[in-house]
Amino acid sequence: MIVSAAVCPSPPLLARELSGREPVLPELRDACAEAAGWLVGSQPQTIIVVGPAATTAQWDPGSQLDLSAFAPALGAAGKPGPPMPLGLGALLLDQAGYSGPRILHAVGDDEPADRCLRLGAELARSPARVAMLVMGDGSARRSPAAPGHFDERAAAFDAGVERAVRDGDLGALAAVDPALARELMATGRPGWQVLAGAMPAPGLTTDVRYADAPYGVGYLVALIQQPRGD
Amino acid sequence: MAIINRTPDSFYRPGITWDEGAALERVHEVVAEGADIVDIGGVPAKPGADVTVSEEIRRTVPFVEAVRSAHPDLVISVDTWRHEVGQAVCAAGADLLNDSWGGWDPLLPGVAAEYGAGLVCSHAGGLAPRTRPFRVSYADVTADVLDTTLGLAGRAADAGVDPARIIIDPAHDFGKNTWHSLEITRRLGDMVATGWPVLVSLSNKDFIGETLGAGVEDRLPGSLAVAAVSAWLGARIFRVHHVRETRQALDMIAAVRGDVRPVRTVRGLA
Repeated sequence: MIVSAAVCPSPPLLARELSGREPVLPELRDACAEAAGWLVGSQPQTIIVVGPAATTAQWDPGSQLDLSAFAPALGAAGKPGPPMPLGLGALLLDQAGYSGPRILHAVGDDEPADRCLRLGAELARSPARVAMLVMGDGSARRSPAAPGHFDERAAAFDAGVERAVRDGDLGALAAVDPALARELMATGRPGWQVLAGAMPAPGLTTDVRYADAPYGVGYLVALIQQPRGD
Repeated sequence: MAIINRTPDSFYRPGITWDEGAALERVHEVVAEGADIVDIGGVPAKPGADVTVSEEIRRTVPFVEAVRSAHPDLVISVDTWRHEVGQAVCAAGADLLNDSWGGWDPLLPGVAAEYGAGLVCSHAGGLAPRTRPFRVSYADVTADVLDTTLGLAGRAADAGVDPARIIIDPAHDFGKNTWHSLEITRRLGDMVATGWPVLVSLSNKDFIGETLGAGVEDRLPGSLAVAAVSAWLGARIFRVHHVRETRQALDMIAAVRGDVRPVRTVRGLA
């Protein structure tokens, strides 16, 4: 039974060390920390971190973020870490003081929508109270300085995702076109569709905490609560 | 370490800080630009009109007092070989004696010891103060530099100078031709390996000018290049004219070495 979910972006910058001496985007980091804290506060028995990766796979729940891949000077990890989004999700849970059971579940960038929805439904079917932390980003083509340069469709795409989450209409996430998402470099798409599969019922309570693209990449932080008694 | 000349006739931009007001203004400026140390000199390195002990004291002591008063935490170095001057400037608040002429006055370490000041032990190739190298040669210039500077450092420690405040300096151009200065730059790692902190004084010097065929006003890129190499090899103190540029170059090298973190890293990480 899924009780709650949070959506967070997964830029490497979320790891404080990676931005150098200046705390770039502290407000985003704070919003993510609050989201993780809120998720932990919903008293789940297990938290499932979902994030995009090359292939769909579960990772060792004890695995840690490997910063060395992004910044060798920050020290090499003993072994390669999980995909960045999962590592960041695990970091957020650690920082929120969560030490309970967790699952780190990567979902392949190329998974079609129906498989994402099915995976979400399976994960939510747990007999335990589960919460889901969905790591993923909007379009990386939001501005001329963006990593993927500017695409005039990007803002509307991200606005559509934000609206779906804000309205608790996760069915609209199920309908996001994977091909368009890929063109717009919106890596969050498979994770959002896992979320849509996990929380298909209406009546969700949502709270969007951050929605902006300060470096041309769409970042969304939101809290989503299952209706009571469901 | 920013150079503040209290002279009318030093080689680089002679006389710009001869006026005490201009000199103090320059100290404020270099501190704002990132200098941790100022090195105040009352006698030019090049040959010229005699500067007596009392004249050197007149040029440096009131100024040291003024700098100390304006910048209580700034490390103040004075470039002098004379123990009488060392005594007077230490009494006025100097922290470090920069003995560029390589231990010419054997009483200087005792002054540093007496005041708890630091001492820079330099290799001037045995030249008398304010003289130029003439057909100097070394079987192995680096070995000579090591012998001399380690010998002076040992002598300083024996005289009671706090070993934590002893610094060694190969003294580019001093008692050296350009080839020698290039060689000691190339082999600076040998000095660093001794464990003593290494100071380099490279800024706008003749070996840079000769290497690049550059006039004295056109030596900044060469100065930054040799500062960068020296930093990479482990030098710790850089005596310079161009503080802002050098600080930036050194900060860059420190980041490459992994000694400091970049200021702000966003590229490819957003």
